[in-house]
Amino acid sequence: MAREQGVLNLSRRGVVGGLSLGAGLFVLGMPMVQAAEPAAGHPESARFGAMLSIDAASRVRLIVPSTEMGQGTQEALARFVAEELDCDWAALEVELPWADQSFANPLARKQITANSMTVMGYYTSLRKLGAASRAMLVAAAAARLGVPAESLTVHGGVIRDPASDRTLSFGDVAQAASSLPVPQALTLKPASAFTIIGGKSPRKDLRPKVMGQAEFGIDVHEEGMLIGVPVLAPHPKASFEAKGLEAAKARPGIHAIVPVSGGLVVIADRYWRAKSAADTITLTVTASPLDKLDDKGIHDRLAAAFDEVAPKPFPQFDMNAFPPRIVPEVSGAFEAAFEEAARVIEAEYQVPHLAHATLEPICCSARFDEQGLLVRGPLQDPDNSHRTAAKLSGLPMDKVRVEITYAGGGFGRKWGVDFVSVAIEAARGVPGRMVKTIWPREQDLAGDQYRPAYMARSRAAIGKDGSLTAIHSRIAGESIMAYHGRPPMGGMEGLADATAAGQLIYGDYADPVKRIEYHEVDLQVPVGFWRSVSMSQNAFFAESFIDEIARETGQSPLALRLALLKGHPRITPVLRKAAEMIALDAPRAKGIGRGIAFSYSGANFCAIGVEVEVKDSSLSLKRIACACDCGLMIDPVSVEGQLTGGIIFGLQASLWGEVHFEDGRPTAQNFSDYRLPMMQDVPPIEVVLMPGSEEPGNIGEASTPVIAPALVNAIADAGGPRIRTLPIARTLTI
Amino acid sequence: MKTLTVNGAQRSVDAEDDTPLLWVLREDLALPGTKFGCGIGMCGACTVHIDGEAVRSCQMPVSSLESGQAITTIEALAGSASVGEGELHPLQQAWIDEQVPQCGYCQTGMIMAAAALLKENPEPDEAAIREGITNLCRCGTYPRIVRAIQSAGRVIRERGAAHARGSA
Ligand code: FES
Ligand code: FES
Repeated sequence: MAREQGVLNLSRRGVVGGLSLGAGLFVLGMPMVQAAEPAAGHPESARFGAMLSIDAASRVRLIVPSTEMGQGTQEALARFVAEELDCDWAALEVELPWADQSFANPLARKQITANSMTVMGYYTSLRKLGAASRAMLVAAAAARLGVPAESLTVHGGVIRDPASDRTLSFGDVAQAASSLPVPQALTLKPASAFTIIGGKSPRKDLRPKVMGQAEFGIDVHEEGMLIGVPVLAPHPKASFEAKGLEAAKARPGIHAIVPVSGGLVVIADRYWRAKSAADTITLTVTASPLDKLDDKGIHDRLAAAFDEVAPKPFPQFDMNAFPPRIVPEVSGAFEAAFEEAARVIEAEYQVPHLAHATLEPICCSARFDEQGLLVRGPLQDPDNSHRTAAKLSGLPMDKVRVEITYAGGGFGRKWGVDFVSVAIEAARGVPGRMVKTIWPREQDLAGDQYRPAYMARSRAAIGKDGSLTAIHSRIAGESIMAYHGRPPMGGMEGLADATAAGQLIYGDYADPVKRIEYHEVDLQVPVGFWRSVSMSQNAFFAESFIDEIARETGQSPLALRLALLKGHPRITPVLRKAAEMIALDAPRAKGIGRGIAFSYSGANFCAIGVEVEVKDSSLSLKRIACACDCGLMIDPVSVEGQLTGGIIFGLQASLWGEVHFEDGRPTAQNFSDYRLPMMQDVPPIEVVLMPGSEEPGNIGEASTPVIAPALVNAIADAGGPRIRTLPIARTLTI
Repeated sequence: MKTLTVNGAQRSVDAEDDTPLLWVLREDLALPGTKFGCGIGMCGACTVHIDGEAVRSCQMPVSSLESGQAITTIEALAGSASVGEGELHPLQQAWIDEQVPQCGYCQTGMIMAAAALLKENPEPDEAAIREGITNLCRCGTYPRIVRAIQSAGRVIRERGAAHARGSA
């Protein structure tokens, strides 16, 4: 494999739009092959192009390869580079990326911001980028000063020779340094020496965001741009008849009405004109993969699948190995546990489809011209967006440029590329003009790729001595990976899709023999990743069931968990802490209840305690306490914000989140019937961070799935009903 | 043609009567800091001030506006607080100090709502803020919003007091 050194091959930066490189700019093309340990063995996918540049004024510009949706990865990644580079933090500017193979995440092996892989994936490689660049700058300075490189010190972008007290700035030597060989042997700082990583300085994106200057997808603008408003059938593969097209076309400002997959896009010079015209068009569905699907149909098909669909196994994984390893089942142990059980406890749980409801509605811009295709938007998967754009347009990859804006929330929704396709198909109807497709909220909620609805059936074998000997959990529902035509997570054919079945029984509950099975239901509802993916349903199923087992067998829910965890070094402390914060075992007044649950995602371990009051089937939330070990903390203030925000996100799903289906279409319209919590709805939340020294995990998904089981456990504790179906508003008044 | 007073300047606007102010600001007047979230008056992402009062601009058809009304958007909020060139409004500064924004999409509307709240009640307690701010934040930044409003309120009161002392 040819290594790339020194100045980057500019042709790979895309042809449309291009990138102007000012004079005096130094661009490092880093061979990151060795840099990316987790991806060893995949040298081609671990390469990084030029993300970093330094100008003569020592201004450091970093193109951050991830999508910033509020989870703070832009800041985290910038800190990785700056920490090792020893630049002046204030002189570092971050820039938003475009789709480029050289920006690939070593862990995902592509450029994608999802599954909590961003921070983990770039942690080592970006520090190496910083360290290598620093070494080259120092080498150039040493040559200029005629002293050995080892004798120089670096601080805040200034290189200093202590012996002669001479200094050079990064800008002074950037040009010379850029043509030096890229060092191979790099020593990275120990975590104890970090000054930027772990610091509390405000994120770099805050100022533009409070000024109204950050460019979100919906803010993309250029002269002569048009606006597209989609009118979509309930499924991209539905066929339909459209009425009112002629009249709509005759309305003021309308340029075209363009057919796209599963619908039309009305293109006008202004949003309101496009929207008003779109509102006059009616689509009558003539055939749809959803047919007449409704809530009852969904329920019945999931329930029937337990008997009618052959299950796929989901093996236990050793999550401490990387990549996680399959733990073989001990033959006969499972059957024996149920045969010999003194008692079997059973329960059935359900969760509905959920919308993402990012506050920025779905939007994406595209323009075809002689140079090729330009796509701009809030995209979580630049890599797939790029390939999709090339395929749809029939253009070669290097004639397609995909640029990433700030995303007004993502939560997995902007990982889908359905809306990218719609934007490209719309733009094809008006060549030469950029079309910004904006989905009205009604279309955004009715055209989501939902978190699938699932049903779970669990049974537990209790031995003669009262101990938990086996758990058998089965889950039925749609497969996200199958909907997207991809192999199940991990590419392991024959195994259950991990996005459905992953952690349906927690592997870290050591003792019981476990069996997880997945009954896949091909509902054909458009589905996608939703914040915390499989955990969003399985933490509820797993941590409700454990709690039921504890209460049924007369044990304290905390004690049973601790016993089963066998002193797990990271979960035990957070669980104890959350229990202490919520005063789990303290005396309580009538109607008051407290519950606990935990979850892990990536390298995070998060426990939540909740206190509620239940009175005559009405629920009030008293307080929420959260303890989290998220490994090494890059940006503690962001971590706290993500945990709190993640709890509120999970609270919405627990209390109200539910997309209904009627006559083959989702009925959700707007925030009037897809309720989001307001400030008033949120009880006091206390978060305690218990950082460790392990590699950092992304924190965006840690707390979201834990709140639902903690809440229902608290409701049961308060003497309320055991809630096995979400959302809670179906059972209690809130 | 219609004349509006936006951020202190007279702007003429050519839009159908039912066009919401939100889209006139964003598309005709190049002021994209005011955001679209729902279009039905529920989320508050589109909050601006009309004569100092917070309104949801997606619910204000241009036909309902008069040229004498002073419309202020996030782009001119700092200016309206008569702070120095390039400086931020105390709320914007507090938002940075408390590190409120996550995705940031709701925050310009939040800040506009908060500015109107502080004008009404310069020293709001938590309950008053929870009742007064009904904008939606999908990222769940509410606890920090409470802190930021209170700390900006302190700054504004102190400045007011210093100003009063200075002119006394
Ligand atoms: S866009 Fe105006 S309130 Fe939501
Ligand atoms: S910060 Fe994302 S919606 Fe409020």
